[in-house]
Amino acid sequence: MKRKSALFMAVIMGISVLTGCGGDSGEKKDTSNTGQSANSVFTGELEENVTIRVLENDTAISKGYFDELINAFNEEYKDKGITAVDANMDQYLDLANDGPYGYGPDVLYQANDIIMQYADGKHIYPLPVESMECYEQIPETAWDAYKTEVDGNTYYCGVPVNVQAPMLYYRTDLLPADWETTWDDDGNKVPDMIENWNDMYAFSVARHGEDSSKYGYMKSLYDVYFSGGFLFSYGGYVFGDNNTNPKDIGFSKGEAEKGAWVLSQLASTMNEECIDDTITTNVYSKLADGTYFATISTPDVYSTFLDELTMEYEKEGLTTEEAKAKAQENLVMTTLPQLPESGDLTEENPTLIDTKSMGGVNGYAVSAYTKAPNASLAFVEFAADYEMQVKRSEMLGVAPAREDAAEEVGGVSELLYQNMEKGTIVLMPSIQEVSQIWTPAQTFFTDLAKDAFRSESEKKYPDMASMKAGLEDVDAQIYDAIFTLK
Amino acid sequence: MKEIIKNSNGKTKLSMIIMGAGQLAYGRIGKGLLFLLSEVSILYYFISRGIEDLKGFFTLGEQKGDAWLGIQGDNSVIMLLMGIFAWIVIAALVCLYRCNVKDAYHMQKLAQQGRPLPTFRQELSSLLDKKFYATVLVLPVVGVCIFNILPIVFMILIAFTNYGGDIVPPELVDWVGVQNFSKLLTLSQFAPTFFKILGWNLLWAVLSTTLNYFAGLGLALLLDKKCVKGKAFWRAFPVLAYAIPGFITLLAFKFMFSYGGPINQLITASGGTAIGFLDLDAKWSARIIGLLVNCWISVPSIMLLTTGILSNRDESLYEAARIDGASRWKQFQKLTLPFVLFSTMPVLIGQFTGNFNNFGIFYFLRGGLYLDGYFLASDTDLLINWLYNLSIDNNYYCIGAAISLVIFIITSIISLIVYVKSPSYREEDTFQ
Repeated sequence: MKRKSALFMAVIMGISVLTGCGGDSGEKKDTSNTGQSANSVFTGELEENVTIRVLENDTAISKGYFDELINAFNEEYKDKGITAVDANMDQYLDLANDGPYGYGPDVLYQANDIIMQYADGKHIYPLPVESMECYEQIPETAWDAYKTEVDGNTYYCGVPVNVQAPMLYYRTDLLPADWETTWDDDGNKVPDMIENWNDMYAFSVARHGEDSSKYGYMKSLYDVYFSGGFLFSYGGYVFGDNNTNPKDIGFSKGEAEKGAWVLSQLASTMNEECIDDTITTNVYSKLADGTYFATISTPDVYSTFLDELTMEYEKEGLTTEEAKAKAQENLVMTTLPQLPESGDLTEENPTLIDTKSMGGVNGYAVSAYTKAPNASLAFVEFAADYEMQVKRSEMLGVAPAREDAAEEVGGVSELLYQNMEKGTIVLMPSIQEVSQIWTPAQTFFTDLAKDAFRSESEKKYPDMASMKAGLEDVDAQIYDAIFTLK
Repeated sequence: MKEIIKNSNGKTKLSMIIMGAGQLAYGRIGKGLLFLLSEVSILYYFISRGIEDLKGFFTLGEQKGDAWLGIQGDNSVIMLLMGIFAWIVIAALVCLYRCNVKDAYHMQKLAQQGRPLPTFRQELSSLLDKKFYATVLVLPVVGVCIFNILPIVFMILIAFTNYGGDIVPPELVDWVGVQNFSKLLTLSQFAPTFFKILGWNLLWAVLSTTLNYFAGLGLALLLDKKCVKGKAFWRAFPVLAYAIPGFITLLAFKFMFSYGGPINQLITASGGTAIGFLDLDAKWSARIIGLLVNCWISVPSIMLLTTGILSNRDESLYEAARIDGASRWKQFQKLTLPFVLFSTMPVLIGQFTGNFNNFGIFYFLRGGLYLDGYFLASDTDLLINWLYNLSIDNNYYCIGAAISLVIFIITSIISLIVYVKSPSYREEDTFQ
């Protein structure tokens, strides 16, 4: 009996599984083309006495901006009983899997590529952006990062808040005393090494030559976010058709190998720490203690660099205020230097081209699993208004996506805004296949960095042809990762 | 059961039609009502949702959800889970039905023999006495069904669906038969990498288990020596290493062996060139570091375990061996090792399986590399890491489940063979 009943159960389950249970997707009802408006949840009637869980950026929380934001919002909407709270969730949440079971936040702040992956599965709501106060103030390129087309209709699934792109950090007090005569050929009062990578390379060689414990430009090469831009500057790209076609992978396209060559030349002025993540973790203290002259990083870590430098000056005997003032004066965050068209950093009088960088537009989105979409939208509008944007920028050093806020903050924020409009910031693709680019590209950049320290006979990338081949391998690996199991 | 069907009388047959009816007919109201209530409850479950759950098990949903349009839709994953639950309820119904019929037949036999039928009170008290094992096993069995069998069956069945990639709720999942397994077998890129990784994985599992085991045993023997002063103090050190979460230890070691870590700082300070202990060219040095770091993490548990076992040694055997002129090595070989191995063989097999599937070591020490000659993997990746790259990174849960099944088959075959051949199984009575 035991055997028979067990056999019966196994056979029934087995047959049902192995026959595919008729798995005819044709019987399944699709909901596309229903013609209904996806924005219909946003009626404008605020849900009262609700709590909105907001997932914010860790830096915004640790620097106190998020507290200011929710306190201001809660005060504003006190009479409606709407309260915004920290969702207390990991930044790398999985809304697609957690949302349907009620574990996700109501409002989330993420980079455009993350948010738009959720848009694919309709895990976030399209927003009525055209009726929002910030609509006119944010440039079209930023809105495009959140644009999606479903059934022939265009939707915007997020509200851009700030622009993220690599910036050059350096210290003016580490410039040679006579830089105006020796490192300012064009006499424009801007050091040449800040204007072009050829002079940065030359300065790095010179600085390390004078004192072997000191370096010029230092950066871990493995980081695709920072190294990718060098490839894009020479015609490389992530995905074709304006980053929407995952079948066309372009890390090796155009003359991207020139970008790889630039990276390789820069690696040769650093030490082995550029191979792994050592520089990424120690760059704050090493820039502060003067071991490194310059690096690239995102604008949101400006305050971390500043804090480290302030501490360093305090150690030298300055008061906190003096140290902070001196650090603010000496620590400069600016746009990336220009590249030589030839890719040769030793070329004298090179023709220069703009350095493109991989960037992102961080913004707010409303979860499709929220019970209070209108209150959540009110929060997004509140967080994206002029005052909060200026405050965010002041407290976190980030560049606002709003034109008026960028103008008010000025400096780098304005430059970043201009770069985005100019197209030198290549926005990260907003399709989910982007998650497959990191490991293959990271491996290549690590290998490229390592190559600078291999003996001549062991070098894997001795010329541009081998670099091109290496980049083609990266493209092939990404393609395999995306499509092999599809 | 055949005998019951053949020899049953009317009252027993009544129980075959309606659970508990036979018991009621014999005047055993309490028991009869309990059986009846069970049947009614299960029927109620099936009418209210069980039939739909079973249907959902086969269809995995028909209406796609769309949050934008406010259409809730079917959640295939929940439907699969509830479908499995419905099958478990059916299995429970079959067991209950069988108990019910056997019980009715038992009463029929007693009645035919002219013996008194046990009262409800007597039956209940037997559950606390003669059948106490059944009473205490009910809850664990229910728990095992819900918390063990259901997830395991769920994971196995996922391997036969297209769940993952773009197909995650609200998209509807479908059954695809053995398509995922055939993908694993037919994809030309897979086989070379699979065998390379499998070879290293087996070597890793054997080496790390052996190293951990003998290092732990050696440490336990060393600290068991009479000449060692302050044993508790020395034992505390490995326990401290054991108490620190594994991933923190791994990240600490990663830092130590990084280009900017203290080891390279010492090398460069003494005029040497920094060594890439874990970088992409470091195949064997990374593997050896992995083995040693795993040893650091695992040795304390083996040491604690064997310390306990060693305290039960029969000292007279050692005394006799010494009188017979046995060397220390012979004593270890012939007395200590068989004694400890006998007690720890199941743990050793557990360690082997754990090491075979040791995800964390190389994920934390050297993750994020795809190397030449490997398909989306590196030369230190174990099958479980490759599985992660292929499935979780891509969200291909169905492929992940299929590879998991393959790994499960490999480890269970090896474990079973080792266990069946071990003294723990073959000479069970030796040390009892």
